[in-house]
Amino acid sequence: MTAHARYDAASRALIASGDWQAEAAAALPELAGQPVHVLDGADLTRLDTNGAWLLLAAARPQASDPMPELRNFSPAHRALLELVARHCDATLLQPDPPREGLRMLTGRGAIAMGRHLAGLLDFVGHLTVESLALIGRPGQWRWRELAAQVRDIFVGAIPIVVGMLFLLGVVFAYLLGDQARQYGANIFVVDGILMAILREISPVIVAILVAGRTGAAITAQLGTMKVTEEIDAIATLGLSPLAVLVIPRMLALLIAMPLLVFIGDVAGILGGMLVAQEQLDISRPVFLDRMADVLLLKTLLVGLFKAPVFAIFIALIACRMGLSVTRDSRSVGANTTSTVVQSLVAIIILNAIFAVAFVQLNI
Amino acid sequence: MTDTVLDIRDIHTTLGGNSIHRGLDLSVRRGEVVALIGGSGTGKSVLLREIIGLLKPQSGRIELFGQSVWDTTPAQMNALRRRFGVLFQDGALFSSLDVEDNVATPLFEHTSLPHATCRQLARLKLGLANLPADVAKKKPSELSGGMRKRVALARALALDPELLFLDEPTSGLDPISARAFDTLIRLLADSLGLTVFLVTHDLDTLFSIIDRVIVLSNGRVLGSGSVAELKQLDDPWLSAYFAARTPEETSPHGN
Repeated sequence: MTAHARYDAASRALIASGDWQAEAAAALPELAGQPVHVLDGADLTRLDTNGAWLLLAAARPQASDPMPELRNFSPAHRALLELVARHCDATLLQPDPPREGLRMLTGRGAIAMGRHLAGLLDFVGHLTVESLALIGRPGQWRWRELAAQVRDIFVGAIPIVVGMLFLLGVVFAYLLGDQARQYGANIFVVDGILMAILREISPVIVAILVAGRTGAAITAQLGTMKVTEEIDAIATLGLSPLAVLVIPRMLALLIAMPLLVFIGDVAGILGGMLVAQEQLDISRPVFLDRMADVLLLKTLLVGLFKAPVFAIFIALIACRMGLSVTRDSRSVGANTTSTVVQSLVAIIILNAIFAVAFVQLNI
Repeated sequence: MTDTVLDIRDIHTTLGGNSIHRGLDLSVRRGEVVALIGGSGTGKSVLLREIIGLLKPQSGRIELFGQSVWDTTPAQMNALRRRFGVLFQDGALFSSLDVEDNVATPLFEHTSLPHATCRQLARLKLGLANLPADVAKKKPSELSGGMRKRVALARALALDPELLFLDEPTSGLDPISARAFDTLIRLLADSLGLTVFLVTHDLDTLFSIIDRVIVLSNGRVLGSGSVAELKQLDDPWLSAYFAARTPEETSPHGN
């Protein structure tokens, strides 16, 4: 039976009939501020707590209004209404807190950012103390964990690094070659490819790949361990979560990144070599001869030097975000995203600093 | 209105090569508070998942309110879902929503009420679950285990279901919270006219609030009845189960 309700102005009664459930809200009459002193439920066929609340809230819009008299309700319905009425005050007139203004949000953001940086500094401090303590005790190093991490980070990333850098080498050589050919400067394409791939493209692209692939994985893994209290269990066993989990990952990244960058270098040069042969008629022996003439060791070393610096930042950010997960599943996702964003920003900023510093130092 | 709320006939379930249910029959009448017990791995939780439509049994028939759970259109199943509420073992609260929105979610999705009204109804349910008003704006991660269970109970009650499924409602709670939770369930069952079907290991729950206990063993219902009736059954697991509590009762200190 559908719900009905009508207001009887003479007796100031709200008379309800039919099935009063959540959907009955539409049946409530427009009261326009008229007081309700009586609730009448003679013809109610069904009443649940949602329906009971709707009737009570209609009769009593303010917590200060008097409780209406209940008339003609069956004993079960009356008991239900009384039960709901006892909990009614908490539900009435609870306006939402006002929305935060821009200033408030900016302030909150600034405080959160400050706390975050302070936390990162604190983490670096703890990690340094822990690492220094471990240096004297090689027996406590987690060799097995380190090896497993190197395998995951390095071996697993080889195919994607080779694929990406090879393609970038192809694209870069193609575009550069297209320009150089107009001036008959075909051979200088080799110089350009070497400089770009070894010094900039390979380190930055590898760092971005590792940040997205490994950094995110580390945060998600440590974060899930935090949620399932595995980290607390490690600490309770008298082990340091930093020594067991963080330092092996950091060392593994330090080892894997330069190796990946070198592999990226080779793949990029191969890509460039392919295009040089097909598009610019620079045969492979000519390409290699030119490479031997113009490639300076420092070009290679600059690229390889950037890799461990990027690795440290990725590892720091990923581990710290993983360990600062709170105990809910949303936080794992949020921190994982944050790791990738922070790592990318850090990589780009560091690379810019390197570019300026190397020029100033005449490297 | 049918008197039998839940009717299960000849259920067979095989999971990962293990036969879990071998011709299981049981039924629950309107207004009963029924507990399902059984040793670990007897398929209590599996049965519960089958009843609420999360896992399909190999064969057999499960009827809720006279309607088969596994031969329905999605629309019919959704209508059916509005008539029962489920409390999962760890609460299964949505961690991205605050407490109030957690409880209001079924109302948001299944009714056309304005969101503000849904939230007020959610607060009513929180009150019914004996939670203080100030938890409404908190996140589930800020609550204790007992409070999370109460919030989950409030969410299960959001649409005023006729039937409530509880999966180990008192596990992980301290004895005081567990007893308070039992009392709350019984109180709500009586005052809202609920039928309650719960899976439990908690003997105190059985002794305090349950009308009827159903014992699962070897993929079938071993027996059903009051605790006193079940104690008469000759089954090693059941004897050991009840013995876990009996000494404390029959031999007080200094005996």
